[in-house]
Amino acid sequence: MLEVRDLAKSFGAAPLFEAVAFGVAPGELVALVGESGSGKSTLLNILAGLERPDAGSVHLAGQALPFGNDEALALWRRAHVGFVFQAFHLLPYLTVSENVALPLVLNGVPSGERAGRVLAALQSVGMARHAGRKPGTLSGGEAQRVAIARSVVHGPRLLLADEPTGNLDEANAAQVLDTLRSEVKRSGAAGLLVTHSPVAAAAADRVLRLSGRHLAAA
Amino acid sequence: MNASVLRLVLRGSFAGNKARLALTVLCIALGVALAGAVHTLHASALAEIERAARALSGKADVEIRGPRSGFDEALYPLIAKREEVLVASPVVDLEAPLANSPGTLRVLGVDPFRAARLQAGYVAGSSSANFTWSTEGLDASNAWLTPAALARLGAQPGQTIALRSDAGDVHLRIAGVLPSLDAGGDAAVVDIAAAQERFGRVGRLSRIDVRLRPGVDAAAFRTALASVLPPGVVASAPASIATRAESITRAYRVNLTALALMALLTGLFLVYSTLALQAARRRQEHALLRALGVTGRGLSFLIVMEGALVGVAGAIVGTLLGLAASRAILRRSGTDLGAGYFRGLDATFAPDPWALGAIALLGVAAAAAGCGVIARAASRLDVAAALRDRALDVPQQRSGGVIAAACLAALGAVLLLVPPVTGLPVGGYLAITCWLAASVLLVAPACRGALQHLARVRDPVAALAVAQVRHLPGHLSASVAGIVVSASLCVAMAVMVHSFRVSLDAWLQGVIGADLYARAAEEGDTVRFSLEQQGRVAALPGIARVDARQYDRLAIAEGAAPLTLVARPLDATILRGFQAEPAEPPPATSEVPVWANDAALDLQAWRIGDRVTIPVAGRSIAVVIAGRYRDYSRTWGALLMDLAAYRRITGDSSASDLAIHLRDRSQATAVSAAMRAALPEMGSLALEDGTSIHRRSLEIFDRTFAVTYALEAVAIAIALGGITSSFAALAWSRRREFGLLRHLGLTRREILRMLALEGAATGLLGALIGLASGAAISLVLVHVVNRQSFHWGMEVHWPLAALAALVLALVAACAAGASWSARAALRDDAVRAVRDDA
Repeated sequence: MLEVRDLAKSFGAAPLFEAVAFGVAPGELVALVGESGSGKSTLLNILAGLERPDAGSVHLAGQALPFGNDEALALWRRAHVGFVFQAFHLLPYLTVSENVALPLVLNGVPSGERAGRVLAALQSVGMARHAGRKPGTLSGGEAQRVAIARSVVHGPRLLLADEPTGNLDEANAAQVLDTLRSEVKRSGAAGLLVTHSPVAAAAADRVLRLSGRHLAAA
Repeated sequence: MNASVLRLVLRGSFAGNKARLALTVLCIALGVALAGAVHTLHASALAEIERAARALSGKADVEIRGPRSGFDEALYPLIAKREEVLVASPVVDLEAPLANSPGTLRVLGVDPFRAARLQAGYVAGSSSANFTWSTEGLDASNAWLTPAALARLGAQPGQTIALRSDAGDVHLRIAGVLPSLDAGGDAAVVDIAAAQERFGRVGRLSRIDVRLRPGVDAAAFRTALASVLPPGVVASAPASIATRAESITRAYRVNLTALALMALLTGLFLVYSTLALQAARRRQEHALLRALGVTGRGLSFLIVMEGALVGVAGAIVGTLLGLAASRAILRRSGTDLGAGYFRGLDATFAPDPWALGAIALLGVAAAAAGCGVIARAASRLDVAAALRDRALDVPQQRSGGVIAAACLAALGAVLLLVPPVTGLPVGGYLAITCWLAASVLLVAPACRGALQHLARVRDPVAALAVAQVRHLPGHLSASVAGIVVSASLCVAMAVMVHSFRVSLDAWLQGVIGADLYARAAEEGDTVRFSLEQQGRVAALPGIARVDARQYDRLAIAEGAAPLTLVARPLDATILRGFQAEPAEPPPATSEVPVWANDAALDLQAWRIGDRVTIPVAGRSIAVVIAGRYRDYSRTWGALLMDLAAYRRITGDSSASDLAIHLRDRSQATAVSAAMRAALPEMGSLALEDGTSIHRRSLEIFDRTFAVTYALEAVAIAIALGGITSSFAALAWSRRREFGLLRHLGLTRREILRMLALEGAATGLLGALIGLASGAAISLVLVHVVNRQSFHWGMEVHWPLAALAALVLALVAACAAGASWSARAALRDDAVRAVRDDA
């Protein structure tokens, strides 16, 4: 599903990583680990089309990312990418269900169809009964499960999670990882989990380590 | 960006910032309301004048109008017999003082048979069922009143009204009401012969209204008539008095509207700072939307829509407020806003929907434009970085500000050279806009420069304040920009008004040379001092000298404002008092020297030394423009002529005013009493000493500018409201920082002091930049806007104490506003605040 070919990125004269190449199959969850500053988040941003690589290409379902066109990247992201952030990033003024519905609204899904899909996504992460609540009233674990529901509700082909358990305690982290893994399997998306936590990495099907400017299987 | 997303995000955005958005809407509304109310009052006044003029002129195609003193009625048969003319109606139009109460009444002397063919209202609706002009209409003691006049006088048909005239009091019986002239304003209609005889106008006419035969071209007729008409009599389109009123008051009205719109401009910066800070707070939210696939353009659109919606709300509220305010003002005190142009005019509420729509649109555009810069910055957001950071600062222009400011300043300087467009200082207004924009563009570089040179401070609280200001240069720039705009305008207006007042004061000291001034009547044009009466006054004990003055209104050209001729004794002392250049009368020659005021020179394109012809008493008189003089009492053309020359030309030895020099100034009261006793027939005699006239003139000046001060106060209030609101939002965003500082041992009072220092620094920077920018703009107001709008020349005088007070007040208000706005944020428990992740 996801295929990364010879990616390279540097900051000024200092190369961050080079010749990075890997693939992620549909329904596979891959963990990307590495030291702080090794370039994990930058690599994730490139895969999401938020940053440009200096060299190389990224293909999703056989199509190359249009790095040169910011507008096209936004539209591509809207249709094909789901995000889970460390800080949840739920809009505080929307309810749980409205937050989850946001990608559907952006993609122009009719309102009649939206309700069912939002409910299904919330049910699959165990948050359906909190649909009417505001994010400010949720615990960290609950908020992150809502964020996972939002990331998969529109059926993305790529699910990117950046330190999704970084703000959670162990029990909540385990629950979130379990949810994330099962959602990747259920949706058939290619999942990439950026983490520095060995526990989180262990939840993935495969672990890649970014170290010394190169990517290798851990 | 589809409508559903827009709705979803806007709903949240508005729901989360109710108080601040309400304040922003209110500020926009205030700007729109002020401009709308000022415009509505003036539009109502002009509509009333036009309605009155049209009601009285009826079906006339052309009006032939002469000077104030009128013209020979021999012209009438010449006009009436012309083959192009279907009917010509002669009119005597005069303003007579009321004998038993203050004020005047317009008296229209008409030939009922002819007037009725132009305007049926002159005979319609008489109170008497079997009314006939031959018996009642031609009775010299009868008058028919318009409903407005009847209401103002509180009179009833059958009662008698008394009016002042040279020939003594004129008593007229109210024979009836003319309901069809309801729109004609305040007037009494009498038979023309009665008007001529009883008001000393025998053989004179004021106007001839002409109805042309079908197919005759009115413009061609007016052109053909030009060679027939005596000097000083012009033919123009009917209701040209309304056009003239529109023209004479245009500069004043536009200036006041421009000032009101400045409040709107201040509102623009408030919208900018409110939404910029909001955008800064919502940086992560915007980054999330971008991460979820909203395009940069979509995000810009969203932000501009927010601004536009704020503008729409403000425009709607403002328009309604403006309408309500103008209606209330009109009902309570009429349409005059202090300058006296529309004093006493009982106008009907007549809002101009197109103009109000345009003002409302300006409000929306101002709000949307205020968001444009933010939208641009937000569309270029570094999404990945923004998702990680929790920055609070307002995006700011990094480069190019100084160059753009220099270009705008240069463009403004070039615009100063643009001549007035239809009497309006368009170039001056545009130059002010350019210089304001330049000063705003200079704010960010100036703030950066100031921050670089900010000295190290030892006081820990002050050091924290300095660090905070350094940390948020964008917020500092946005807040300072809001202050700069309002401070610039206030400084500019303060300097202009002060310069004007000082110049006026000096001018009054020069022109009010006599101890006592006598006017034949406070208002109106039917009572004058005869030569014999002047002699009686001069012969009174205690009077050293009496200088007579006479005035005339000279019609120079069709559609142009008339020129006032002031005839009075002229010598070097009087000319110096008028600040004339040169102030010495020229050597006596056969030419008649006149001094033209700045307006006459500007409007007639005359130069000193020009030999020109002016129409005086029905004759073309060659005069030489001997010099210029300053005249703050007229915004249109005026000429000073020596009284002896005027009397020689006109043979008219009467006088409207007398300037009386006493042997002993302390005897003014006794001399006044003696004058009244010596002139028992002059019931309308008005006496006032020079000091009182001086004081009253300054009071009128202050009243005229009271509305200016009010508009300035609103602009300052809007700016301070915006700054307080912006500091409040920032304080709310800094709850965690405050919590941390509390954890570190700072007291609430110390944190408030820190915020007050931040506010004071912002206020000081804004006030200083505003001072510099306002000083430059004041020069444009004094030398370009005033000169081109009102033709007033003046010197610049700096109100140093007032400016220092303004700077101090701004600094204090900003400090207090910043400190006060943080109180709510500091009420939170420190521990909770530190953990708060909102």
